[in-house]
Amino acid sequence: MGVLEIHNLHKSFGGTHVINDFSLDVTELTLCCLVGPNGAGKTTTMDLITGRQKPSSGKIVLRNDDITGLGEHEIAQRGIGRKFQVPAVFRELSVRQNFEVSYSREVNPFRNMFRRQPAGFKAQLDEVATLTGLKDRLDVEAGVLSHGETQWLEIGMVVMQNPAILLLDEPVAGMTESEIEKTIVFLNQLKKNHTLIVVEHDMSFVREIADVVTVMHMGSFLAQGKLSEIESNPKVREVYLGEPEI
Amino acid sequence: MTQNLYHNKTAQWMVYAVFFMCLFAVPTIVSDGFLLNQFATYGVYAMLALSISLCWGFGGILNLGQGIAFGLAAYGMAMTMQMQSQDASNPLPPFMANNSLDHLPFFWEPFWSTGFGIVLALLVPTLFYVIFGSLMFRARVSGPFIAIMTLAMLSALYTLILDMQPYTNGVNGISPPAALQIFGTEIDPYSTKAYWTVVALLLLTTVASKLLTQSKFGLIVQSLRGDPERVRFLGYDVAFYETVIYTVSGLIAAIAGCLWVMLVQYVSPAQLDVNFSITMVIWAGIGGRLSLLGAILGALMIQGGQSYLGDQFLNTWLLLLGGFFILVVRFLPRGLAGLLEKVLGMMAGRQRRGPDPIAPPRIVGAPAK
Repeated sequence: MGVLEIHNLHKSFGGTHVINDFSLDVTELTLCCLVGPNGAGKTTTMDLITGRQKPSSGKIVLRNDDITGLGEHEIAQRGIGRKFQVPAVFRELSVRQNFEVSYSREVNPFRNMFRRQPAGFKAQLDEVATLTGLKDRLDVEAGVLSHGETQWLEIGMVVMQNPAILLLDEPVAGMTESEIEKTIVFLNQLKKNHTLIVVEHDMSFVREIADVVTVMHMGSFLAQGKLSEIESNPKVREVYLGEPEI
Repeated sequence: MTQNLYHNKTAQWMVYAVFFMCLFAVPTIVSDGFLLNQFATYGVYAMLALSISLCWGFGGILNLGQGIAFGLAAYGMAMTMQMQSQDASNPLPPFMANNSLDHLPFFWEPFWSTGFGIVLALLVPTLFYVIFGSLMFRARVSGPFIAIMTLAMLSALYTLILDMQPYTNGVNGISPPAALQIFGTEIDPYSTKAYWTVVALLLLTTVASKLLTQSKFGLIVQSLRGDPERVRFLGYDVAFYETVIYTVSGLIAAIAGCLWVMLVQYVSPAQLDVNFSITMVIWAGIGGRLSLLGAILGALMIQGGQSYLGDQFLNTWLLLLGGFFILVVRFLPRGLAGLLEKVLGMMAGRQRRGPDPIAPPRIVGAPAK
């Protein structure tokens, strides 16, 4: 039994099948990389899991709790955190305030009126700020952060939510080599006590972090396994990896 | 480490304290009843600007229909005060008799009781905001469409009240003949008692709003101004939060509506006029919508300017005001309060590191005032 189970997911936009009978089972405390060529439906799958779009049919189960068709905030409350492809942080707020908003244990507006800093926030802030390397940047306005720092901030915000599972959509897009190395270190730290799904194109990055790799093609499940198995899979080579270089 | 003084919370509260001490001290200098009454109405305008700053500045909800809450509450208060001049032998306000009604309409009945009347004057607009707000925000209406919808609703109510001549006295409005009687005393609109009532309620609403913006709720509201989608994916019900901040702002405008009728003993559809609601937005825009006190000062400055400079410049005043507004929108998108923020920020920056070719990152410690 996995943390997150996806059963026979379908999504079509006016007759075009974008996701076609896709199933996936994510095991606790693993990092699963979702790869596939452009248009394979990776981001759409993320949208369906997080409730941004409603599936045409199929079932999504989070820890034995059917979350299919719920609203975005309900799914987020049940424990799915998402980092967007284009980094989305609150640019006018300080880094600390970004983390504070993300600490969403209490979502009732009236109870939040009488609360400045919730219990447990400080410890979690310390942990996440250290993890993301933003400890010295807490009082800086998020809008002035570099691209890499913004990506880390958003991943940190998702961790602050303390979700059962983290979905990261292209976390290293646009990063420099040294930034990517830093991200690899902290993602490997993160998977010690979190379950993650990462959508990524960069195969050298996938090699460094993935426990399991799932390949999608034309909206369907193509293959799943360890990276070495995937790389030698003839079907995957044909549609995605191409002929081996050496 | 030097911080921008503008973002220092202690400094903010001190400025608020000084401002309100000045307001409370006014009657010791001014004894003229007419002037006191005029200053008190400025206090009511300040409260309206405060309410706009809450929903537009902090929540990003550009509400061009704040006259809905103000006007409905003003009518409720006028009905309450009108019924204080009626009794069982003469239950019908004169204008109803002139419009050939022979008995009091049912929805006027509750206003026999002053307490109940005032509660209704506040409750009706608040409920209206809850319903209208949740309809809008559940449908994820945002940006300019909120402005259009609130404006349309305001115009509809304006026309409705104008058309219900026998019940509302149409364009002439309701002018209660006597001052408000409450808690066994009369509040003469030209007395210091009336002035202090307004300033006390302005203080109360301002402090409550300030605390609200400093709470976790306030932080979430400011976040959804920037990126509602992100807030939703963090697990917050965005429509719920938007409805709450919109309603709180409506309640403050409703309190302002009640006080306004207490001061001028008059209400007409003009209080629901589109012009007036847009004027409120201009006060907050010029003063600084991201600063509660900035919006309040904006209202005091513009209305004060209108009364005193307006007499000198006559129609030219409107040209001056229009030109001033264009300048502010073009060069100071955060209003005059934003200018102060910038100046204090530059001073803090200079102290910290002296001349520096690279602009230092702006340090923010707290939500904008």
